[in-house]
Amino acid sequence: MRQFLVCVLVVAGMATTVVAQEGTVRKLTPAEQAQLDTDNKGRSTPMTAEQWLARRSGGNQAQRKTWEPTPPPAEPRDFTGLWQLPGGNINLLQENGEGAPFTPEEAKRTQHLIDAEANGAVLTDAASQCFPHGVPRLSFAPYPVRFVYLPGEILMLHEVGHNLRIIHLDRKEAPQDTPQSFLGYSTGRWEGDTLVVETSHFNDKTPLDFHSSHGTRLKVTERFQKQKTSQGYTDLVVRITIDDPEHFTKAFTVVRHWPYRSDMAATLGADGITEYSCEENNRNVETTSDGRVIIK
Amino acid sequence: MKFVFKPVLLAVAAAMLAGVVSAADSDAWSHLPAAQRPDPGTPDLTGKWAMPTPIRALKTTDGKEPPLLPAAKAKYTANQAALKANPKSDPSANCWIQGVPRIIYASYPMLIAQDKDRVNLVYETNHTFRIVSLRRPLPKWDDDLDPHWLGYSAGHWDGKTLVIDTIGQHDQTWLDYSGLPHSEKLQVQERYTLDGPDRINGELTLTDPETFSQPWSTRFTLVRQPGYDLKENVCVRDHKM
Repeated sequence: MRQFLVCVLVVAGMATTVVAQEGTVRKLTPAEQAQLDTDNKGRSTPMTAEQWLARRSGGNQAQRKTWEPTPPPAEPRDFTGLWQLPGGNINLLQENGEGAPFTPEEAKRTQHLIDAEANGAVLTDAASQCFPHGVPRLSFAPYPVRFVYLPGEILMLHEVGHNLRIIHLDRKEAPQDTPQSFLGYSTGRWEGDTLVVETSHFNDKTPLDFHSSHGTRLKVTERFQKQKTSQGYTDLVVRITIDDPEHFTKAFTVVRHWPYRSDMAATLGADGITEYSCEENNRNVETTSDGRVIIK
Repeated sequence: MKFVFKPVLLAVAAAMLAGVVSAADSDAWSHLPAAQRPDPGTPDLTGKWAMPTPIRALKTTDGKEPPLLPAAKAKYTANQAALKANPKSDPSANCWIQGVPRIIYASYPMLIAQDKDRVNLVYETNHTFRIVSLRRPLPKWDDDLDPHWLGYSAGHWDGKTLVIDTIGQHDQTWLDYSGLPHSEKLQVQERYTLDGPDRINGELTLTDPETFSQPWSTRFTLVRQPGYDLKENVCVRDHKM
């Protein structure tokens, strides 16, 4: 496929510490082009490189008017309201377009799963069996999330699979006897208007994206910050640093923009978070009368 | 109480005007962003709670059997027999989301997080949460309303009591561990009233014209669990991991 020249209007940040690139013009990297080709498989109208990059950085700005009819709270540390990543962002591409710095073993393992899938294998993971998604897999899921503030804690209530994350603001590290878990143990602190969340004590049962795995030494640092887009809408920008020496040669960072979705608050039930019962398969999977499974 | 709150309010207002927030630290709601704080004087149920004596079989406030209609009584008896024969006949063995009010009786702690517009009830049991709006009215029950495991809820304050009304629940869940059935016409009213700083007196009223001959009520108690850390609690049936 031929390379596209892309003109990306990157966000002019709020008058805070956000790093903003102005008027970046660049070709897709080979890793990005491969991901775009994968994402375009089976689509009747293939995405252009520009559309694909726009989705990674918060979605089509022209659509945003319907997503954000009312603005989010003005206070920079107030993350209340609904945020939702646009679909199709489940990958480990770094901000500069490079792929993840896999160790040779992990690169081999990842490629094996990519090839198997290309040959028709259906991959299952923790989330598809109704376990919690893991981190950052959960942060790549295109479903709304609501932040809830408590004394000493911030909760993230995710629609997808009713995943529940608890960020402990009143502790610097996990208690000594903390067991391993799907979503790990998270501590958080404010650095200016950025919520910095460090998570460890993961089990090794979740993938990082669809194909890459991690070990129990995984540490994830997420930096959440509200940021205005070029057209004045608001994203929650999440910078996710993945550190797992058993699977990657160095720590690396992926970035996601979660647009503010005040339109979703009008959804019936649970103030914008629609019930998602993986256990009942009430959302993603339907079967036809002859028993075939339809993935929506 | 008003005299206590007024200076605080003035200080908060002055602080906001001056672009300073530290003066609000003594406020009970200081953990919330300024725009999300409930009105002063709103009872504060925020915190970790547990039921000291979990309820296995619901009885009325007078300790009597719920007023089951004959067909529902037969279903209850059948459920009890099935449960005796096989504990997995309890629908909760499927790890389906437990409905209201049963999720309240689960054997794990819960937390309540209030803000201006909603009350969030988060249960350790299978990481289940309810986001209850204090602003949106309850949707009208009709055939177009898709039943949900936790139904549709709306809350409001009745004086010092938090009232949550819930409709639109699936009829596959049981109301308790003993197999008490209900229909999709079930309406539940929960009432939460603080009794001192560390105790909530709860009351439930269940109305279901297809199951009960009349509305009936029962009570429960929640006790504060200071410093409790909600754990990751996962229920998955027949999993392969």
